Amino acid sequence: MNRSRIPFLLFSISWLCSGCSSDYRYMQSVESRPDCIAKLAPVQFETSWYHASVDVVGNHISGLLLIKNMPDSSYRIVFTNEAGVTFFDFGFSREGTFAVYNVIHKLDKGPVIHTLQQDFELILGLPFRNASYKTWIMNDEVFYGTRQKNGTSYFITTKDCASLRRLELGSARKRKTTVEVTGQGYPRPEKIELRHYVFDMRIKLTRFDKE
Amino acid sequence: MNWSRRKRMPRMFVIFAAIVLPSFFLQIFAQNPEFRPVNDLSAFKKKFTTESAKVQSITSDFIQEKTLAALTEKITSTGRFWFKRNNRVRIEYQKPFTYLMIMNGDKMSVRDNEKENTIEVKSNRLFRQVNRIMIDCVQGTILDSKDFTSKVFENDHLYLLEMTPTAKSLREFFQTILLIVEKKDYSVKSIEMNEPAGDKTIISFKNKRLNEQVADTVFAL
Repeated sequence: MNRSRIPFLLFSISWLCSGCSSDYRYMQSVESRPDCIAKLAPVQFETSWYHASVDVVGNHISGLLLIKNMPDSSYRIVFTNEAGVTFFDFGFSREGTFAVYNVIHKLDKGPVIHTLQQDFELILGLPFRNASYKTWIMNDEVFYGTRQKNGTSYFITTKDCASLRRLELGSARKRKTTVEVTGQGYPRPEKIELRHYVFDMRIKLTRFDKE
Repeated sequence: MNWSRRKRMPRMFVIFAAIVLPSFFLQIFAQNPEFRPVNDLSAFKKKFTTESAKVQSITSDFIQEKTLAALTEKITSTGRFWFKRNNRVRIEYQKPFTYLMIMNGDKMSVRDNEKENTIEVKSNRLFRQVNRIMIDCVQGTILDSKDFTSKVFENDHLYLLEMTPTAKSLREFFQTILLIVEKKDYSVKSIEMNEPAGDKTIISFKNKRLNEQVADTVFAL
């Protein structure tokens, strides 16, 4: 082999290795803290209206999102445009069963609905209801993880359990989706930013008080 | 969803425009049992066209009330509306969220909290449809539009235009659109958009001022 190519090859191999390395490789298993789970697990979501801004692979759309906590403890999620036209109306039963009450033709595609279902499950904190957790520590964060069909859902706190850092859905090796909350947190988050890591998609929600 | 490319007309925005702009242009309503069918439809059409042609500009506040029937939820938003001949419109939602849409000739601009998009009108078939509806409204010929079948009713003070979309792209969103037009000046008082699932949106216009001076800068993109 041409010696001049060796540094490039080593660089390429190391880059490729870093590309396939796990986002969770430095996690170390620790004992769960029930007091921290009771304090910070996002298991409740109060009825709120949000202005929604969605960016998907270079495209942008905005509208209004209602997340309504129903009297039977189920949730309804309705997205309209600013002029009031309804684009979708989804629901989660108290047991977490997903239902599509209404969706416009353009959105009525399996992958689209499945993605939105997973996104809202995480935002609402449904995986963390009555969950059993395994706990890990990585850097200055504590990961409380619960196994799902599609990976592991985490709520991630500061080391001292002072605050919730984010929610995360990950496969065995890779982070797939994160939800960050700023300002007032659960059960009535002020600002929510959901980000996908497998493809380019972000949902930003800013709560507003209706008149 | 067919997410339209930036700098082109986003489809949802086109639908927004297709429904909201005509109503604003018609200058506008709620079903009322006192309404009776208009006897002389051709006379109404002629008068509607004549009176609409006199409108050079409109400035108005608006109140929009969206009712989600199944959830017993209602949200009210308010804002300002401007129109100036030809083809210049500014719709500004001010509370409880901000959202701005400006149309100026062949270009449109949409601005929300996060982004501003400028759109070429001619690049989209749906938008050309919107354009035609708008022109029909400005010229008072919306009742001749092929996008809707219309019925006209009246009482002592108001006309009621019941518009049923014929185009598939509009039928998915709206069962009927009801416009209330004031007899005194043929200006639109309100619009009621009824969705197939039972939800409805009512936009009511307040403090309307017709043919006042409106600066071109209002429509700057």
